[in-house]
Amino acid sequence: MNGLETKRMSTRALLWLVLILMTVLYAYPFAYMLFTSFKTPLETNAIPPTFFPTTWTIENYVSTLTNSAVPVSILNSIQTAVISTLLSLALAIPAAYAVTRWKTRLGRVFILTALVMRMVPAIVVGAPLIGFFHALGLSDTSLALAIAQTTISLPLSIWLMASFFDAVPDELEEAARVDGTSRLGALWRVVLPVARGGVAVTAIFAFLASWNDFIFALLLTSVRAVTTPLEIANYQSQFGLAWGPMTSLAVLYSVPVILLTLVLQRHIVAGLTLGAVKG
Amino acid sequence: MSIRTNRRPAFGPAVPGSSAPRRRSLRLTDARFAALMMAPAAAFMAVFVAWPLAQFITNSFYRYNPISDAPHRFVGFGNYIAAFGSAAFTNSAVRTIAYTAIVVFLEFSLGLLVALLFSGLGSRSRVFRTIFMYPLMIAPIVAGLLWRFLLIDNTGIVNQLLFQLHIIGSPTQIQWLSDPKIALLAVSLPDIWLTTSFIALVLFAGLQNIPGDIIEAARIDGARYPTLLFRVILPLLRPVIAVALIVRGVDAARAFDVIVVQTNGGPQNSTETMSLLVYNTQISDGNPGLASAMGTIYLVAMIALAIVAVAAIWRPGSDR
Repeated sequence: MNGLETKRMSTRALLWLVLILMTVLYAYPFAYMLFTSFKTPLETNAIPPTFFPTTWTIENYVSTLTNSAVPVSILNSIQTAVISTLLSLALAIPAAYAVTRWKTRLGRVFILTALVMRMVPAIVVGAPLIGFFHALGLSDTSLALAIAQTTISLPLSIWLMASFFDAVPDELEEAARVDGTSRLGALWRVVLPVARGGVAVTAIFAFLASWNDFIFALLLTSVRAVTTPLEIANYQSQFGLAWGPMTSLAVLYSVPVILLTLVLQRHIVAGLTLGAVKG
Repeated sequence: MSIRTNRRPAFGPAVPGSSAPRRRSLRLTDARFAALMMAPAAAFMAVFVAWPLAQFITNSFYRYNPISDAPHRFVGFGNYIAAFGSAAFTNSAVRTIAYTAIVVFLEFSLGLLVALLFSGLGSRSRVFRTIFMYPLMIAPIVAGLLWRFLLIDNTGIVNQLLFQLHIIGSPTQIQWLSDPKIALLAVSLPDIWLTTSFIALVLFAGLQNIPGDIIEAARIDGARYPTLLFRVILPLLRPVIAVALIVRGVDAARAFDVIVVQTNGGPQNSTETMSLLVYNTQISDGNPGLASAMGTIYLVAMIALAIVAVAAIWRPGSDR
C-alpha cells in the first residue's frame, strides 16, 4: 500500500458503507435475473413485481432445456468458442513472440496495425463476410462464425501475448539456442511453459469474445450454427416477452463464465490491467 | 489494449546484437524468421479484416440491390452525398456521440469512485473487487435484455423501487424505454453496468503503482484530499486514464447488442446509433451501397477521434 489507504476509523466505516451499497446495487440486476428464473409465469409478469419468488419452480429450466433448439445452440456455442480460441492462440502466439523477441520495424508496424484493426466495427467486417463465406460454401457453419469472431479476439490476443512474452527474459531463449535448440523449439519447450499463465489469460479473453458475441452470429448463422445468444434473443420475438425461459437460459449461459471468473480472478485482473498500467 | 510499445525509445536495428554472430551461419535471419512468424496472423487479418473492409469501402461507391442480379451501378460519391444529406445519418451521428459521452462519462466517474474506495480500504476490499468483476463476463445481449426487463414500463422493478422509496409518484411515471427524451440514457445503463468494473480495475491497478513517497510528500506539504486527487493522483494516472477512456470510447461508439435488444433503435429512432443505422440500412432497407458509405464515414471518424484522443490525453513523449 502506498499511503492512499485511510487510517481514520470513522472515514473507513463510511467508505465501507459506500462500497457495500454500491456492491448491492451492482449485484442486484443479476440477483433479480436469477430469482426471476425460478418464478412461475404468472409471477414473472406480476404487478407490482416481486424480488424473491413466492413459489419456487424449475419449470423455466425444464422448458428451456427441452426446447430442442437450446441444447444444440449450447453445443454450437461451445464448439465455436473452442475453435475461435484455438485459432486466436495459434495465430497470436508466434506473432506476439516474433514482435517481442526480435523487435523488428516490421513487428512494430504489425502490432500497431493490429491495434487499428481492433477499432473496425463488427458490422463493417461482417456484412462482406456473409458473401465471402457463402462463396466458400461455409455459410451457416461454426467454422465461419469462429473465424469471424477471431477477427475481434486476435488483435487483443496479440497485444496480451506480447505483454506476457515481454516479461520473459531473452536469456532463457538464448541459453536454449546455445544448447542447439531451434528457434521454434525454444519457443515451444522453453518460453511457452514459462509464459503459460499468459496463455491462459489470453485464452480466457479469446473464449469470452466468442462466447458473448451476438452480431456475427446474427449475420452469419441461420439454422445449423446458431449459438445461444441468438436463442436468448429469440425469446423476445417468438413468444412475445417470455421472461421466465429467457432469464433461465441467460443464467445457464452466464453461470459458467462467472464461475470461471471467480476461479481465475487474479489472472483476469492481470490481463485486464496489464497493458494499461505497466507503462 | 496496451500502448506501451509506443512509449519505448525507438526500437533498435532489425536484429539485436546478441544473436548477430549466429546470423551469418544461418540462411534464415532472425528478422526473416520473425516475419515468417507474423505471417499467418498478418495473412488472417488481411483476408478476414482488410479484405472485407476494402470490399465494404468499394461497395460505398455503387448502388445496387443485394437480392436482384441487376448490375451494380457506379455512383461515385453519390452515396456519401446521400448519407450527409439524410437526417437519419446526421441524427444518428449525434446520438452515437451522445451515447458514447454518456457511457464514458458515467463509467469513468463511477469507476474512479470505486477505484478510490478500493485503495482507501486497502487489501481487505479484495472480496468486493471479485464481486465487482462479474458483469464483465456477462454477454452484452444478456445485459441488454436483463435491463430491458428491469426498466420495462408497467412491471419493471426499477420503477417499483423508486416508487417505494417515494422518489416517483407512480410506478409507471418514468417510461424509460418508450419516452424518446430519455431512451438514449436508459439504453446506456446496461453498458455502464457491464464495464464500469473495467475502468475501476484499471484505475485501481494504476493507483497501486503510484509511488508512496509522492503521496507522502504531498501530505506533508499540507495537501487535503481534493487537492491530492486533482493535483497529484489524476495527473499521475494520465496514461492509464487515457488507455481506459480510449478502449471504452471505441467500444461504446460501436455498441450494437445492448441497444438492439432493448429498443431496436426506437422509440421514434431515438436510440438508433451508427451501428444500428448501418445494420438497418444494409439488411432491412437492402441498400448496401448507402450502408457502406455511412459505415466508412463512421469508421474514419472513429479512427480519427481515437488518434486525437491519444494525442490529447496521453501526450506521447511527455514526461507524464
